[in-house]
Amino acid sequence: MENLNVQNNDSEMMVGEGVGFERIRRITGYLVGTLDRFNNAKRAEVNERVKHAVTREVKL
Amino acid sequence: MINTIVKRDGRCVLFDIDKITDAIFKAAQALGGNDRQTARELAELVVKHVEQAHTDDNPPTVEEVQDAVEYQLVESGHARTAKEYILYRAQRTRIRDMNTRLMKTYEELTYQSAGENDVKRENANIDGDTAMGTMLKYGSEGAKQFYHMFVLNPVHSKAHLEGDIHIHDLDFLTLTTTCCQIDIEKLFRGGFCPGHGFLREPNDIQSYTALACIAIQSNQNDQHGGQSIPNFDYGMAHGVRKTYRKLYSRNLAKALELLVGLENADEATKAVREKVHAAHGLYPVLADDNGYRDLELPELAGFADEPTLMKAQAFAVEQAYQETKRATYQAMEALVHNLNTMHSRAGAQVPFSSLNYGTDTSPEGRMATEAILLATDAGLGHGETAIFPIHIFKVKEGVSFNPGDPNYDLFKLACRVSAKRLFPNFSFLDAPYNLQYYKPGHPETEIAYMGCRTRVIGNCHDRSREIVNGRGNLSFTSINLPRIAIRAKGDIDFFFEELDRKIDLVIDQLMERYQIQAKKKVRNFPFLMGQGIWIDSDKLGPDDEVGEVLKHGTLSVGFIGLAETLKALIGQHHGESEYAQNLGLDIIGHMRKRMDDATRETGFNYTLLATPAEGLAGRFVRIDRKLYGEIEGVTDHDFYTNSFHIPVYYNISASEKIRLEAPYHALTNAGHISYIELDGDPLKNLDAFEQVVRYMKECGIGYGSINHPVDRDPVCGYTGIIDEVCPRCGRHEGEAVSVEKLRSLGCWNGNVDCGYCGDPNEEAARLPNSVVE
Repeated sequence: MENLNVQNNDSEMMVGEGVGFERIRRITGYLVGTLDRFNNAKRAEVNERVKHAVTREVKL
Repeated sequence: MINTIVKRDGRCVLFDIDKITDAIFKAAQALGGNDRQTARELAELVVKHVEQAHTDDNPPTVEEVQDAVEYQLVESGHARTAKEYILYRAQRTRIRDMNTRLMKTYEELTYQSAGENDVKRENANIDGDTAMGTMLKYGSEGAKQFYHMFVLNPVHSKAHLEGDIHIHDLDFLTLTTTCCQIDIEKLFRGGFCPGHGFLREPNDIQSYTALACIAIQSNQNDQHGGQSIPNFDYGMAHGVRKTYRKLYSRNLAKALELLVGLENADEATKAVREKVHAAHGLYPVLADDNGYRDLELPELAGFADEPTLMKAQAFAVEQAYQETKRATYQAMEALVHNLNTMHSRAGAQVPFSSLNYGTDTSPEGRMATEAILLATDAGLGHGETAIFPIHIFKVKEGVSFNPGDPNYDLFKLACRVSAKRLFPNFSFLDAPYNLQYYKPGHPETEIAYMGCRTRVIGNCHDRSREIVNGRGNLSFTSINLPRIAIRAKGDIDFFFEELDRKIDLVIDQLMERYQIQAKKKVRNFPFLMGQGIWIDSDKLGPDDEVGEVLKHGTLSVGFIGLAETLKALIGQHHGESEYAQNLGLDIIGHMRKRMDDATRETGFNYTLLATPAEGLAGRFVRIDRKLYGEIEGVTDHDFYTNSFHIPVYYNISASEKIRLEAPYHALTNAGHISYIELDGDPLKNLDAFEQVVRYMKECGIGYGSINHPVDRDPVCGYTGIIDEVCPRCGRHEGEAVSVEKLRSLGCWNGNVDCGYCGDPNEEAARLPNSVVE
């Protein structure tokens, strides 16, 4: 599935030109392998997510 | 005198007064009128009216004639007929618009890629760029238009199109129901028939998992929602049991062949096994704790002396255990791979699969649970995170929650796997609204969730069967809560009155949809009904209607954007003040009460859903922004917040979010989920991860899950968090990296086509040791 572009750079061979990172995110319960498949609204939602700090009070 | 009229497409055609008479007469007929003569007289008045402004050199347009009809009807005191005529005219206009729009939609589907076209990305799991994905969209868009024009009650159609409500999976309106919890134990008992040809009851764990995939795939083609197995561990335990049994006899045969040269050893040991079973009802078991060996010994007496036989038995027990474990792991590995690659629905999507497990405490069930977790931990072929199935680990006090519980080790493992792979999610059987159905020893009473959140257990249609197996949601429709709040302009009484009107509307709409579903026959659902997956469908013949058995399902009213609703009503959402939280609970509590009332009145299972709203998140807000402008905290984002969630952009601690969202879980009996977003790599702080899960349980969350970034660089294979630069190979996104560098990192295998050579660091970090002994 990974088509890594290879190019010869004089003496040393380079790979990975144009290859993006995969970013797996959960969207309405389902995982999606890349943000490209999200619809516009959900893309916006993912971009606006903030993290939730785990504070001491969570400790039981 | 008028002889011609200009049609909408610009053509000039002969003017015909009878057409006007017909239109007026039809409007009158709709109100019970039957006087064609009056209609004719009115039509003549219309013509006179039109002639005042038009000559044959300047013919009227259709629109102008229709305006004249409206005018004349009102003028002559036929107000009600006028109203009916206007409605009819609006409906015709709507249909014309839709036809034009449908062709426009088709054009966009045809000539735009998914990257350009939001419709193609409505559902992230369908690849809109493929042939089958696009074909599915053509069908879906065409079906929707057809239903709006000819099937849906115009009132419901209007409410949907204007964004007051959203009828989910509208493209399947006349076709099927949403989802089902597949009782895998029952399905496999005696074998089943997924299509052409009968599949016998499986005999080892490999066949069990393979058939589980086929069951999910087959059922997915009969319904429009996801598919779930509520009792995965209990079901797969039978496969593990049979595998061990077989492997024990085979290894005993090997030992005897080697030790004493026994001939036809396989047949001989198998015959002895069946003889012992016939006499004592016992088989060799994984735990080797049922005294089988002692019962078997005398039956083996003819083959060798006792010490040799005992040695052979010990060898068989040890080998069979190890081999069963390996076979189980491989079977689960294959299942994960299958569920990520097999396609359904004309090949357009991977089945939406969910597996619930974690409470079977038998050695076989525990082995199955451990294996599925470890296979998920390992990931796919290149170590990628699997997208399916959705895993749901069942958390239960006394079973899988506290140190000392028989499956506590599996809970710990589940946390660890989830911290790496985002699954499992966690379901909480002790939440009071789940616990009320729980009967020890009856797995069908353990709450099970359908992947994204759907929950079906209460059953007013048959109180004796408040179970999860064989049941599911029939259809659901969501209410645009923020719009009602915007329109209320701070008037809480108006808000609740309007909300009640919308609930009434949706209750009716769901019932009308059920009436359509009820007329379907068993043969319309060859797997779901034909194979007896749906509760009681095994009592029906192929030509029987399914209406009666469908009554075990749920009709669900959903909602979206509680946060924006509160913001519009009182200027704060429920994360911002206790007052807002109380009002939020009032609103959702009221909706739940209305569901309970409807259930009592109709005998149908009306339930309240915290809508996941993938396609809906943007749709409502787009319409509302157009209607009401940009309102701070309400319509100024590109999405309405998921169900009762605290907005994703609001800063709040994990504990506070859990505490505030938990009470809504108790109210949303059709399903719910809460998410916590963790920063950093939770694998490095497993303790915090587990504490969050434990806190969810303590607060009464029913179903929860923890999000964290899972990134991967396909070039060097690094899995973890990647910001701008890959922490391993140091490349930016899209940048090339030298092979020399990859080689020095130990992640280059010379495979130019693939580039990936395995991930030595990740592989080393995998869970090598099983937790189940």
